[in-house]
Amino acid sequence: MDLSQYRNVWVFAEQRQGVITPVVKELLGEGRKLAGEIGTDVCAVLLGKDIGYLAKELIRFGADKVYVADHPLLENYTTDAYTKVITDAIHEYKPEIVLYGATHIGRDLAPRIAARVNTGLTADCTKLDIDPEDKKIMQTRPAFGGNLMATIVCPEHRPQMSTVRPGVMQKLEPDDSRQGQVVDVDVELSEADIRTKVLEIVKSAKEIVSLTDADVIVSGGRGLGSPEGFAVIKKLADVMGGVVGASRAAVDAGWIDHSHQVGQTGTTVKPKIYVACGISGAIQHLAGMQSSDIIIAINKNPRAPIFEVADYGLVGDLYEIVPMMAEAFANEKNI
Amino acid sequence: MFSKKHEMIRKLAREFAENEIAPLAAQIDGTGEYPEELRRKIIDCGFHAIVIPREYGGCGGDTVAATIVTEEFTRVDASASTQLMPNSLSGGALMMFGNEAQKQKYLRGMAEGKMIGAFAITEPGAGSDTAAITTTAEKDGDYYILNGRKCFITNGPCCDFVTVFAKTDVNARGVKGISAFIVESAWEGFSTGAVENKMGMHGSPTCDLIFENVRVPKENLLGGEGQGFKICMATLDSGRITVATQGLGIAQGALDEAVKYVKERVQFGKPIAKLQNTQFEIADMATRVECGRQLVYNAARLKDAGQPYSKNAAMAKYYCGDLCNNIAYRSLQLHGGYGYMKDYPIERMFRDARLVAIYEGTSEIQRVVIANHILGK
Repeated sequence: MDLSQYRNVWVFAEQRQGVITPVVKELLGEGRKLAGEIGTDVCAVLLGKDIGYLAKELIRFGADKVYVADHPLLENYTTDAYTKVITDAIHEYKPEIVLYGATHIGRDLAPRIAARVNTGLTADCTKLDIDPEDKKIMQTRPAFGGNLMATIVCPEHRPQMSTVRPGVMQKLEPDDSRQGQVVDVDVELSEADIRTKVLEIVKSAKEIVSLTDADVIVSGGRGLGSPEGFAVIKKLADVMGGVVGASRAAVDAGWIDHSHQVGQTGTTVKPKIYVACGISGAIQHLAGMQSSDIIIAINKNPRAPIFEVADYGLVGDLYEIVPMMAEAFANEKNI
Repeated sequence: MFSKKHEMIRKLAREFAENEIAPLAAQIDGTGEYPEELRRKIIDCGFHAIVIPREYGGCGGDTVAATIVTEEFTRVDASASTQLMPNSLSGGALMMFGNEAQKQKYLRGMAEGKMIGAFAITEPGAGSDTAAITTTAEKDGDYYILNGRKCFITNGPCCDFVTVFAKTDVNARGVKGISAFIVESAWEGFSTGAVENKMGMHGSPTCDLIFENVRVPKENLLGGEGQGFKICMATLDSGRITVATQGLGIAQGALDEAVKYVKERVQFGKPIAKLQNTQFEIADMATRVECGRQLVYNAARLKDAGQPYSKNAAMAKYYCGDLCNNIAYRSLQLHGGYGYMKDYPIERMFRDARLVAIYEGTSEIQRVVIANHILGK
């Protein structure tokens, strides 16, 4: 394999119903950094039906070139169609690196393409670097449930491919003055190429509490004083993109349903952030949440056992602190 | 071995237990509700206030008398012993450490059947390790402000007052700085958690007690400030005789059921009581129950004689906690498949027995107490 033939960093520009997935902007930002180090361009690969207008936005966020594959059979994502079109484009244009967001679509698509073009793929990366000596990409990903960080390189095959975890890379400020080239890709696709048929796409509003899946849990305890307190908790959970949890004391008081209960007799959770509001921290509660990555405790009583496991502790009235936190997080989001 | 008076009390308690309690035991176990009518009858007969002195409305009996009543009650229904709590936990601390005004109000209140008491030491983070309690009582003029949470409190859901242990000196180490307070459930800031769903003892309601800035007048301090641990241990020493007696009662009741069943059950053409395995089992079980009985009544007699009984109470509690589980297990085995069905009382006794080895000091703690007596601390 002649490695020198391969140039440019590609980003798979995943779109759903004409909306660019947020992770694509993060990948363009990361792609720019990588391309700068190896001295090549960043290209976005856009597939869909009547989506040409999105090319401009991809350029605003950092793409030098956008490959557009516009075809009626690409309207909805299917493994077969997307794999064929991108594989064909890789064979034709020979990119050096291809990045995909580790979304449900990205995780489905990338391995198919990797097998077709016979190259390496690293899944769910959280850090990408260029080796200054041989310009190869060093792909770092958490393994064994986040207990081990593995750095992986793909020395002999091209393109080097990664799926990248959403939310870890920095997107660029959109820049209207940025110029880019749009390349129409010839799509050779027939109905017979696609073995899956999309019958219906259902969007469901997430009302069900799934404590185990949540990255952020904001929990309330007896310290709320009344069931109305959970409105304050909910507000913070909403701006942090999390769900509402509760201690057994709050559940027993009838303030909230048992499905929210965290602890030995409720759900055992391990979110990235656990906010304990007005929870004293009996061992029966701690047993259900103490392996959370970050624990933030808010309690009036400085001697409350919750502070022994908390990474950040705030002594004070939760009715003053929680709304301030909610406001701060809301402002942070707007930046 | 028993005086005529004690024999009379046993006859009375046995007749009452068999006629009034036994027929309702399965129903109480099923619903978890103690019939008010039965509760009244127990109070009218004075069983709940055997050891409370006459000047406070009780019967003025001794520990042996109270032990007899507890044995006879628990023989048919272990959870009935909760109705006898004024004799031990809720009354004990008051009788030993209460001042005249406190006794007249709370002890008399219980003796006359107008009040239900509870006793609260255990917290979510402090079970066997009593010194680890975190409930606080801060002095504020003529009041103490109580904050904290107690768990697994017998009679919690229905109590009118509770003897509660809290730290008056948060900086004191270990068991120092703990004081006891009498707190009425009607006071502001007092609330209860959900009623616990237990394996057994369904006729004995249990829940958390929550204290949120409860203002306790200083006249409701029991004993002196910092006396809490002493009060707690003295009350538990006495309470252990009661729990040991529950173990004895359950064991005797389970043995009674086994004896009745093996005489009636026919296999291989004859009652299984004719099989030598059954005979040996019954002989062994009866011998062990008798051992338990001697330990229990010996501890009670020592207490009545004013002699040290702490070690003997711990031995009785340890032995009988194991005894009732052992006898209930073997009795259920002799019942075969039928013993596993709720239609037979042995299934309920098997579940009720499990608690005896745990509450008022686990079997492990009893052995710590016994070892400390023998080896020194």
